[in-house]
Amino acid sequence: MSTESAETEHEQEYESRVGAMHAFSRLLEDTSAKISLVAITIISAMALFAFVDAKLLDYQLAEMFLYHPLRAESGARPLLPPVGLSNQFGDGVLAHPLGTDTRGRDIAVRILYGSRIAIQIALVSTTIGVAVGTAVGAVSGYYGGWIDDVLMRFVEILYSIPFLVLVIAFMAAFGRNLTYAMIGVSIISVPIFARLIRSEVLSIREETYVEAAQAAGVKDRNILLRHVIPNSFAPVVVQTTLQMGTNILIVAGLSFLGFGAQPPTPSWGQMLSIARNYMLPAPWFSVWPGLAILVTVMAFNILGDGLRDILDPRLND
Amino acid sequence: MSHLRYSVKRLLQAIPVLLGITSITFFLINAMPGSPVEVMLGPTATEEMITEASARYGFDQPLYVRYYKYILAVLGGDLGQSIHYGVPVTEKILERLPVTILLLVSSFTFAISVAIPLGIVSARRRNQPIDHGSRVVSLIGVSTPNFWIGLLLIIVFGYHLQVLPSNGLVMPFTPISEVGGADSRLDVLVETGRSLIMPTIALGTLQMAAISRIERSSMLEVLGRDYISLARAFGVKESVITRKHAFRNAQLPVVTIIGLQLTSALGGAVLTETVFNINGMGRLIIQAIRTQDYALIMGTTLFFGFMFVVGTLLTDLTYAYLDPRVTYEGEQ
Amino acid sequence: MTTPLLSVENLRTQFDTAEGTVRAVDGISFDVHEGETVGLVGESGAGKSVAISSILRLVESPGEIVGGEIRFRGEPIVSFEEGPNGESRPSSEMLSNKEMRERIRGREIATIFQDPMESLNPVFTVGGQLQEFIEINRELPPKDARDVAIETLREVDIPKPEDRFDDYPHEFSGGMRQRVLIAMAMACQPSLILADEPTTALDVTVEGQVLNLVSKLQEEYGTSFVWVTHDLAVVADICDRVNVMYLGQIAEQAGVHDLFDDTKHPYTQALLNSVPRPDKTVDSLEPIKGVMPEAINPPSGCRFHPRCPEAREVCREINPDPRNVSTAGAVHNAACVKHDVFDVDYANSAPIQTDDDEFGEDLQVTEGSR
Repeated sequence: MSTESAETEHEQEYESRVGAMHAFSRLLEDTSAKISLVAITIISAMALFAFVDAKLLDYQLAEMFLYHPLRAESGARPLLPPVGLSNQFGDGVLAHPLGTDTRGRDIAVRILYGSRIAIQIALVSTTIGVAVGTAVGAVSGYYGGWIDDVLMRFVEILYSIPFLVLVIAFMAAFGRNLTYAMIGVSIISVPIFARLIRSEVLSIREETYVEAAQAAGVKDRNILLRHVIPNSFAPVVVQTTLQMGTNILIVAGLSFLGFGAQPPTPSWGQMLSIARNYMLPAPWFSVWPGLAILVTVMAFNILGDGLRDILDPRLND
Repeated sequence: MSHLRYSVKRLLQAIPVLLGITSITFFLINAMPGSPVEVMLGPTATEEMITEASARYGFDQPLYVRYYKYILAVLGGDLGQSIHYGVPVTEKILERLPVTILLLVSSFTFAISVAIPLGIVSARRRNQPIDHGSRVVSLIGVSTPNFWIGLLLIIVFGYHLQVLPSNGLVMPFTPISEVGGADSRLDVLVETGRSLIMPTIALGTLQMAAISRIERSSMLEVLGRDYISLARAFGVKESVITRKHAFRNAQLPVVTIIGLQLTSALGGAVLTETVFNINGMGRLIIQAIRTQDYALIMGTTLFFGFMFVVGTLLTDLTYAYLDPRVTYEGEQ
Repeated sequence: MTTPLLSVENLRTQFDTAEGTVRAVDGISFDVHEGETVGLVGESGAGKSVAISSILRLVESPGEIVGGEIRFRGEPIVSFEEGPNGESRPSSEMLSNKEMRERIRGREIATIFQDPMESLNPVFTVGGQLQEFIEINRELPPKDARDVAIETLREVDIPKPEDRFDDYPHEFSGGMRQRVLIAMAMACQPSLILADEPTTALDVTVEGQVLNLVSKLQEEYGTSFVWVTHDLAVVADICDRVNVMYLGQIAEQAGVHDLFDDTKHPYTQALLNSVPRPDKTVDSLEPIKGVMPEAINPPSGCRFHPRCPEAREVCREINPDPRNVSTAGAVHNAACVKHDVFDVDYANSAPIQTDDDEFGEDLQVTEGSR
């Protein structure tokens, strides 16, 4: 009967909080979100495979099934165009589907292994950004007062130097390798989440159920953990997804400039910087790594948009 | 409060931020390999120079004194000496600054003049083909690395079609004799324009895409507001509603986003200048890193921060101009 | 019987949403005559605001008027005809969009909205907005329009209107903003004003002032009103006749006195029982059980029957339209089968077992709960 099916406001709120599964199933109804989810899964699988093979197996899998990403085969021909142009390298139809680079290394394999750098740095830095940013923002928003002033001032200052420049300066001071790249990008990811959480906390703090919990003597830490943070879940999820995309772009830029994974480890940005020197003889060289970046970032952006439509319909068009 | 009072207030608020940025660069300088002396003056510094600099920067003194002296130096415009170029850092920066500013102004002009009409049309013709098309374009725009766009543009227009220059930026005031094939000031300006096209598109695409998205969603949101329905109920024409009633309100979040885009644009300038071999500040920082010219690196970083603060100040003032509530609430 | 100023006949307006079709207005009919104030009463979600938008033909997508006739001074604002395949389509004799915009909206029919903060454009001055509407609808040059604007602001008791002309909406209090909205509506000298809950957002004393102002203006200019509200006290104060809406349909229509003294529909009665009345002393207020369901999936038969204390089995099957159940001369329509005029053997039908719903006895009064 209709009366029984009508929900009160409270019931609806409860359902949406517990409704992670509900949100997920609604996400699957959106075609583009589905596609992006598939794309991200595939790319992540590639990255994982590359990570395992590179770090743990010393590229044995690559040598067995593909080509070695760091070393060219003996007798390899450099700067081969992709299949479809004049590729007469033996070994069947798809010998080098995307061509080879200056050293004769297969580009397709290098792109595959390049995904590892992109995903690794983005994942680590976004995670740290969310974790630290949440802590800072939650404390800042909840307690207010001078803590808030100091923390937010610091966040604002961090925010005021353009991302790329700050990371570059940071890496110039400390070191230019992968590790410092991760640290640097993590640092610049913190302010965004700190601000986001803080504004969520500020609005939730005024809700009556928080007052009730305080009146009942629940410890601040527990209030934060059990009431405040879970309710700010939605925009954080959206921002995390979008931030993954942003960070991949930043990492690509860093690699392009020579900061980040050092050669011979392949990364997309770095491959583009090499391609830059060969624009005339091998223009296709510039296409594939950029395309890889585009597809990956786009997948995260589509997913983020889809999540935003579901979790925060107020922002929906 | 008047706009003037608000401007002053915002300016004062910017000071601690500038101080903070300076502190960060100070911290980074001291974290760099080598002693601060080497960092600021380079390995070729003479005894004289070192002694003189010690007094100014306080190298042999405790940290807090060095900090204080550093701040003073910065306030005085002294950012150290560029090892590689042999000139004061400030001088080098000021030499390169106009180039980057030209590039930034150009790309933002491009971005805004395309994005705003695109976003409005998209909102008015929601869910029609043009809306879908522009949304796809925007999505691609925010997902593409700008240096890749630059590379592709150079390949197509620079190398294969050979219609646009892909190396460097011709500034409007360059002496005519230094510009190949130019016989008049007009020729120089044409060259400026030609050399600006590709870098502008490369740098501005991300901005354009981001701004058009927010313009669209902001217009849609505003068009759904009660005062718009009221205007319709009183017989106001739809075109007037879009142009007058909705537009100004919709710009508020857009202005905010433009402010945020500044930070990515400044970073993007580094990449774009590298791809196009443009001698602006972005390229300067990269060249400085290659030559390990630490004072130059830090000075440039500091300057980027300052530029951002100035940019945000301008956007905040624009916002206050558009929204009468802002200055009013300041008085509450 | 004179031609009514506004006549609404069997209006149906729907919204196509992902979850289904929301039949927000599902066949309502009422008239407004010159000089009278007709109330449109109901809980939130009953379809009152949609009805108002429909009269001005400003229903926004995904909403659509799908049936009925609305005539203003005999001219068709909404009208449907049969197409070549027998389907129903908007009639060609309907006023065009341009005519609606130029002649009707703001000029013949004006509106007063509910939330004055949201209804005024925050980036323009109050005077400027008022002046613009006057320029458009009374076709006056800017200078004359400005004078009229200032005069109208004076008429709605805004002090120092010449000075306040250049102020922004956020510089006015809630009550003053509402007066500005009234000024906008009146300045264009319309014959009919549609007022959509104009006093709901105001506190009681301010509301009283605004209602007095409206009465005064109505006396002076003879404007007709359609007054939407969920507050029965306001109805008692200013309405001549009342339409009670429930879930997109009209439950009861009567003169205001008849509605209060001789209530013919259980829903109206329940509404009256759930609020305190100065003319009656009761032991306790009785809230209406349950909440009004969504218009996507209305109950079968009479839409009120799940919550009706007088429901019988036959109520599950029949959805009555309002019929005249008046014993005296005046028209008094009620859509309830318990009246003989419906002839469905209500008396012998078994009462519906009302299971004690899970909400229990202490239910909040459902007014404006959404």
